[in-house]
Amino acid sequence: MIPRYQRILFWTLVAAILLMIAFLLRGCEQAHKRLGAPSADTPIAAPTAASTEDITLYLANDTDASITPTTESLSLPQEPSIRARALLDHLLATYALPASAHPLQAGPAVADVFIFTDPNPAPGDQPGQLAVINLRGSFVDNHPSGIQVEALTVNSIIGTLHAALPQITTIRFLVDGQPHDSLAGHADLLHTYPATDTAAKPMPPTEP
Amino acid sequence: MKPPFKLIAALVVTFLTAPAAQAQQPTPRTVIFLDPAHGGPDPGAHLPNNILEKDLTLAFATRLRAQLSTAGFTLLSTRDADPAVPFPTDQRAEIANHAHPAACLILHATSSGSGIHVITSSLPERQPDDPHATIPWNTAQSASIPQSLALANEIGLALQHAKLPVILSRAAIRPLDNIICPAVAIEIAPLTRSDSEPTPVTDTAYQQNIAQAISAALTAWRSRIAAAAAPAGAQR
Repeated sequence: MIPRYQRILFWTLVAAILLMIAFLLRGCEQAHKRLGAPSADTPIAAPTAASTEDITLYLANDTDASITPTTESLSLPQEPSIRARALLDHLLATYALPASAHPLQAGPAVADVFIFTDPNPAPGDQPGQLAVINLRGSFVDNHPSGIQVEALTVNSIIGTLHAALPQITTIRFLVDGQPHDSLAGHADLLHTYPATDTAAKPMPPTEP
Repeated sequence: MKPPFKLIAALVVTFLTAPAAQAQQPTPRTVIFLDPAHGGPDPGAHLPNNILEKDLTLAFATRLRAQLSTAGFTLLSTRDADPAVPFPTDQRAEIANHAHPAACLILHATSSGSGIHVITSSLPERQPDDPHATIPWNTAQSASIPQSLALANEIGLALQHAKLPVILSRAAIRPLDNIICPAVAIEIAPLTRSDSEPTPVTDTAYQQNIAQAISAALTAWRSRIAAAAAPAGAQR
């Protein structure tokens, strides 16, 4: 017959062991989460000695469907195509940060940006420049699906590009070098978009 | 009775009975076009609990159709089941354009954002100079933008009165850009409130509230159209 005090001691030790296991697992989980999550302080561009300039990012917000111009200091190349690509990569990388109001998955998004004279300018308009943005298939595959969320991404790209390169008048999209129906099932990527200021804050409905 | 008297009598009878016959004719029912988006091999968005957008839009369209039928509308829907073959947006727009409905509603659902998104085409408004001019397919909606914006506002107001958060916005999407009638896309997103747990798009009570609000909006829209058409008819 095992004495009562030994049984109590045994079960107390078992409870302590279980408690320690739970504590350890919780600690591991939290550490894993902390190390795995991208931080807002994570550098998304290599440090450079080149001079920075103020650029305007048109940042989308899913909650109120707004697009707000925000100024940032960034070092960008001068050649327009490379400049546009670097700018859009920076913009879309911003959306992968944990505090993003328009969360998108991290990863390369823009393969190329081609800029050339618009072959079909609007009647009566001076021929401007057409930018063709070649998005990566992986970006499109991982983009959240929905009319509003996709339209916000498209408008954010258009507004940011228009602010940095005002000579661009129209914008078209490709995915992996091919025309693609939509971004993630909704926003039309076969449409030719006018390059305009896309800053917006939807107004509530009004009484007629 | 001599033949001239017969003719006069027949004419008198015709004039007397014509207004009565007109009064007995039922008033024409307003046709509403519903398009539950996606379907077949196109599942749309993957919503929580393994629900596909194509199934949710179909379920919501069924709910909305019941509400609108009760309110006296005639419904035309692009699909009542999940099609086995692809159902392209151009084909959906063709169905809408042939029917000449009073309003076209494209139904979507998403897990991004909050509340109900009422979307109008982002095409610029175009005033047709020549009523017989060819309408480009890709910008067919541009002539109906003012009516579509008014319809979106009407639906937005009804949703607001039902205490549902609503966002009115504009986007380039198909088949919205290819439809010639007043058209809006209605996208249902989860209902997030600061004081309670988020309501998923699959919640039937949430869907029912939205369907009731849309029905009320279309009833008001129909009255407004009738009121606008009445003075024009009286002038003639």
